[in-house]
Amino acid sequence: MSTIDFFTAMEVSASGLAAQRTRMNIASSNLANAQTTQAAGGTGPYKRRDVTMASVPVPEAKGSQFAGAVHGVAVTAITQDNSPPRLEYDPGHPQANAQGYVAYPNVNPVEEMVDMITASRAYEAGITAMSTAVNMAEKALGIGK
Amino acid sequence: MSIAPIDTGATQIVGIEATPRVAKTAGGESFGNVLSEARKAEADATTGAERFAKGDPTMGIHEVMIATEKANIAIRYATTVKNKALEAYRELMNTQV
Repeated sequence: MSTIDFFTAMEVSASGLAAQRTRMNIASSNLANAQTTQAAGGTGPYKRRDVTMASVPVPEAKGSQFAGAVHGVAVTAITQDNSPPRLEYDPGHPQANAQGYVAYPNVNPVEEMVDMITASRAYEAGITAMSTAVNMAEKALGIGK
Repeated sequence: MSIAPIDTGATQIVGIEATPRVAKTAGGESFGNVLSEARKAEADATTGAERFAKGDPTMGIHEVMIATEKANIAIRYATTVKNKALEAYRELMNTQV
């Protein structure tokens, strides 16, 4: 446990910020590949990715009476969404199948935008929590001044 | 008749002297901890900034900022503790005898 207990709150916020950053990366990757008809190193269109997050105990809190109560967050897995691709009729397209349909990624840009906004807001919330912890530490340092 | 009061005074002085000694050791140890904490936080901030500058993908902007902020708080904490200890010491040294 750190001597300065405010660091625990900062660790937790930091883990949240990292997780939201990963979410943002995934959302932008999905958006960027919304029209990608060929996935890297494979056949078929790009498949949208999803982020799975899990709470993890904060190492800083070990030994404290609240150990196990304070949890940070970690991205445990980035999974592929295996829902069927969107088929569009475009016989002139080089990736078109025998019936003239092109398989486009199962990415819904609107959904990705919402995901991105959520990630952005959650990041802001993390920053606010963090600033509050820093402010509290600063106020504590000002005791007696 | 007047011998007894002098004895009581002597024991009192011994009692007063013993207490600050304990306090001094405890204060010294905890200040050592505070200093090592500050040093660690400062080293973390430096290596973090270095890793970020070198393009380490696991080191984001916020990690660097948080490490710097931690170092800032830890160093200010150490400085505040040092100032308080020094202030107390000066206060004692200025005691008129």
